[in-house]
Formats: sequence, C-alpha cells, structure tokens
Amino acid sequence: MAQSVPSQTNDLEKMSSRSSGIRIFKWTLLSPLICLALFLLPVFILQLYFAFHSWTIYLSSWSAAEYVGIELFQEALQDKRFFWAVARSLLFASLSTIGCFVFGLILALLMYRPFRGHGFFYIVFILPMLTVPIVIAYTCDMLLYRAGPINGFLSTIFGTEMRFTWLSNPDFAIFTVVMLEIWNWTPFTFIILIAGLSSIPKEPLEAARILGANRLKIFMEIQLPLLRPVIFLALILRFLEAMAEFPKTWGLLQGGPGSATETIPIYLYLITWQFFDISKAAATSYVVMLIMIFVILFAIRILRKEKQSMDTLYSVRSSGS
Amino acid sequence: MIKYIKKSRYPIFRYFMLGIWTLIAGFPIFWIVATSFKPAHQWTSWPVVYVSQEPTLENYREVWGIGEKTVKEATQIYDKAKDARPESVSMNKAWKAFGNSLLIALISTSLTVAFGTIIAYGVSRFQILSEVRMFQLLMLRMIPPIVVAAPLTLYYTTLNLMDSVTGLVLIYFITTLPYAVWMTKSFIDEVPREIEQAAELLGATRWRTIVEVVFPLVRSGVVATFMFILILTWSEYLMSFILSKVDVVTLPVQLSKYEGSTEGRMYGTQSALAVGITFPLMLIGIFIRKHLVRGFTFGMVKR
Repeated sequence: MAQSVPSQTNDLEKMSSRSSGIRIFKWTLLSPLICLALFLLPVFILQLYFAFHSWTIYLSSWSAAEYVGIELFQEALQDKRFFWAVARSLLFASLSTIGCFVFGLILALLMYRPFRGHGFFYIVFILPMLTVPIVIAYTCDMLLYRAGPINGFLSTIFGTEMRFTWLSNPDFAIFTVVMLEIWNWTPFTFIILIAGLSSIPKEPLEAARILGANRLKIFMEIQLPLLRPVIFLALILRFLEAMAEFPKTWGLLQGGPGSATETIPIYLYLITWQFFDISKAAATSYVVMLIMIFVILFAIRILRKEKQSMDTLYSVRSSGS
Repeated sequence: MIKYIKKSRYPIFRYFMLGIWTLIAGFPIFWIVATSFKPAHQWTSWPVVYVSQEPTLENYREVWGIGEKTVKEATQIYDKAKDARPESVSMNKAWKAFGNSLLIALISTSLTVAFGTIIAYGVSRFQILSEVRMFQLLMLRMIPPIVVAAPLTLYYTTLNLMDSVTGLVLIYFITTLPYAVWMTKSFIDEVPREIEQAAELLGATRWRTIVEVVFPLVRSGVVATFMFILILTWSEYLMSFILSKVDVVTLPVQLSKYEGSTEGRMYGTQSALAVGITFPLMLIGIFIRKHLVRGFTFGMVKR
C-alpha cells in the first residue's frame, strides 16, 4: 500500500473500497460474539454488585442490600472452609491429572503401533470418556456400596469378606472421587498421547535402534522430548477441567461425608443454594476467578509456546510424507 | 513386524495389560446394563449377582414404557406427557426429559456450530481475532462455570428465562462456542487458500465462497464438530441442574430424581434411564472417534 504510485488513483480507490469491505465483513463475522458478550455482561455486573453489598435471599429486593465495601472479601478469605476447599480442589486436580497421565501414557505406549485388535481396544478405552458424568456418579455409588460388586469382587479374590467403606470413610472419600475422575478421563490423555506418539517421525527411532539404543533409552531421549508439547497440553487441560469438576463429586457424595470431598465448586454451590448467602458466594467467586485467571494465564503462556513446537512437528511430518 | 512378534513375549504382555484395562474401563458400563435387567430384590443383594438369572424388562417398562407397549403407544404417552405435571408417572417424565434434552441439544448445537464455523472462518482467513484473543476466549471457557451460577440464576429470573428451553439453549450456546470455534478452525486451516482465491477471481461473493466452496470441503469436519458439541451439551449437568426446576428438566437431572424416600436409590430404574442417556452418546462418540482428540484439545492435536 505504502509503495503505491499517486497516479494510480483508480487502483487506490478500488483497494480502499475493498479493504473497507473486508472491515465490514470482519465485523459481521464478529457481531455474534459481541452480542453474546453484551448478553452476559449484566451477570458480571450483578456479581460485582453482590460482592460489595450484603444481600441474602431473605431480603425482599436487591436495593435493600447495604454497601459493605470489601468486608465480604475479607470474610471469604478468612473462611477456614474456603481455604480447605481450595486445598482439596488442588489435591483432587493434581492427583487425578497425574493418575490420568500415568495410565494414559502406559496405554498409549502399549497401543501406538498397529496390532491385531487395535480398533477394538481403542473403542473400549474411549468409552469412559463418552459416559455422562452424572451417570458415572450414580454408577459409582452402585459399585462402591458396602455390599456392592467391587467389595464382592475383592471378597472373591481374597477369600475373606471384604466390606471396605469407599464412600463413608472421611479420610478416604476424596481418593475415591480421584479414582472416579481418573477412570473417567484417562481416555482423554490416552487419545492425546496416542495421537502424539503416532505423529512422531519414524526415522530417528529406526536410526536409534540401529545404533543399538534400548527401548527405555529411545523413549527417554527421543519420544519423550518430542512428545513434550502434547504432554503439557494434556496435563494443563486436564488440570483445569478437574478444578471445575462438579457433577461427579456432587452426584456421588455432595461434598460429604462431613466436608471431606468439598471442592471449590461444591463449596460455592453450598453457600449459594444451601445457606443462600449470595453475597458471600459472589465475593468468593471473584476470589476463585482471580485464582483461576492466574493459573490460566500461566497455562496459556506454556500452551502458546508449546503450540508453536507442536505445529512445527506437524508441518515437518506433513511435508515429509 | 512379524519377526518382532516371533522373537518376543511382548505381545502377550501387551494383551494382558490391555485386558486388565478393558476390565477396568468396561466393568462400570457392564454393571449399568446388567443392573437395568435385574429385578428389584437383586439390586443390592449379597452375595453379589453379576448377571441376573431371571432378567426382567420391568425397569425399562417403568422408565421408558418399553416392553409390553409398542413404540406407537409410547409415542402417544410422550404426546400426552408434553403438558404433564410433576405428579404424573415417572415414565412420562423420562420421555419428557428425553424430549427436552434432544430439543435443547439439537437447537443449541446447531446454533453453536453455525456461528462457530462462521467465526472460525473469519479467524482463519481474516484474523478477526488474533491468536491472543483466541486464547482469551479459551480462557473464559476454562473458568469453572459455577462461579457465575448465582448471579446467572438471578439474571435469568429477571429475564423470565428460568426453567425455559430458550434459557438453557442460550447458556449452552455460549459455553460450547469456544470449542466449536477452535475445532472448526483447525479444519478450515487445512483448506488451501488458493481455492477461495480462484472462486473470488471467478466473481463469487464472499458469502457465496463460504457456502459453496469452503463449506463443502470442511463438511465432514463440521459434522464431527456438530457431534462433538452434541456430546458436550447432552451430558451437561450443572447448568441444567441450576437453571431448570419443573418444566425443562433434562435427562441428566431427571436421573437424580429416582431416589426412594426410604430405601435409598432405586438402582434398577436409575440404570434403565442411564442406559437410555449414555448409549446414544457412546454411538456418536465411537462414530467420530478419530476427531474426538481434536475436539477435546481445541484443535491443537490432530490425528
């Protein structure tokens, strides 16, 4: 554009009309997003209002709420229960992410090369991911009932009557929920890792084998570094989704026994719909949002960096084949 | 490959490990199906009954009205159930919930995919959103939805959208849009630009290029996206749990209503309903299994 010669006014006019056409077109494409943002905006304004005004559902109208400044935020931050909910959520998310990753990696390593029955196993292994979360919660309740099939199965194996309390033991309940999450989402890491593993070019692997490297060495020094972007992606997405997990934990134990499985979403649900403390919920929500935004900003930094190396991997592969 | 199999025990080890995981992954699903055919006294019996010797369709009859009744009669029941109130029998409620779920899922998924494709096209070809903005869109989706649940409820009450199809459709549309944009973008990125330029040179308008040139090329991708979003919407629990009360109960919420007041959960009936919720989803999922990874990773990993 800058190098256009003034005498070609006709062309310039054409070009400017073309670029304004493109601008209009761009805004047409963007308009639905803007409409949705405008639709959602009042929700955040309401949230802000409630976070600074003390209001419960027992008060008649919203305007009856009195302005209390940052008192609610202080209350939220000093709440021991909230602190423990955050700690529990972090524990739940990290344990389940690690679990999903380990099992997913083992399965992907077993399956990334074609063999008889590959298709069958692939379908069976993705089934847990395709089960509705709330169905999983209720099924788990059926399975882990004190006289349920899992205890029955263990009794048959060990020959004695096993009546393990999976759900009502407050020290263990959180791990039951973690197991549930791992069962549900191992397919997720599995399909990501298997896609990553099978997109690694074969030549360096062959070369390493010819040079006499054993399988462990090939895995540690070739496959794992090349897989890194995919691994990061899987871990980050899984962690963030696990932080937001609601239906399984709620459907199975509703935060109980006591508050042993009360994660952040369940805590927020309880203060809103059981104690009807909308204002405290709003303030706490902002704290949670802030925490999550920091986590996510950090995650996005990693993801963007890794996405570049991932795209390179794919472009190398597609130009090579 | 053959040489490799001959000289090592690895394949046996592999089948053994895969067999164990098949057991772990498949057992809960097997258990739902098995329980749905059990008569009431075997639901929680000890010693455990794995496969009932006296299978019954009683659970399905109670939930779906299947068994004695023909499909036609079931349809009639559904027609009547359209204006059923909570006091009506559970069978009506299940079909009503099924109808709600299907209606909401289909409408919101169509909206999501239609707008998602258009926005994705803009992102891919005209950079209407920079990469940073795209990641911010993703970021918004990754915040736990529960944080806006309370003000959303009040907002919906003010707008009179509580317990309505429109309300749920809107919220599902918004929450699944980032997935659709990212997923379809990854498909559109694969279409060579030269084809569009050729169409433009031949005098096609932009919308015509989208509809008649680009869309047919990414059609299978759009179908995969549609099914993927359908899976997400169909299994969503939190929003429909919070935003619906009586009229627009979806299937996942309906599932939690089969709880006896005294004897705990009604496992058999619940299982019969669970089968009805889960199996359509599994079929769709298996059908698009090659594209699942793309959907769940926002198009960043392709297969």
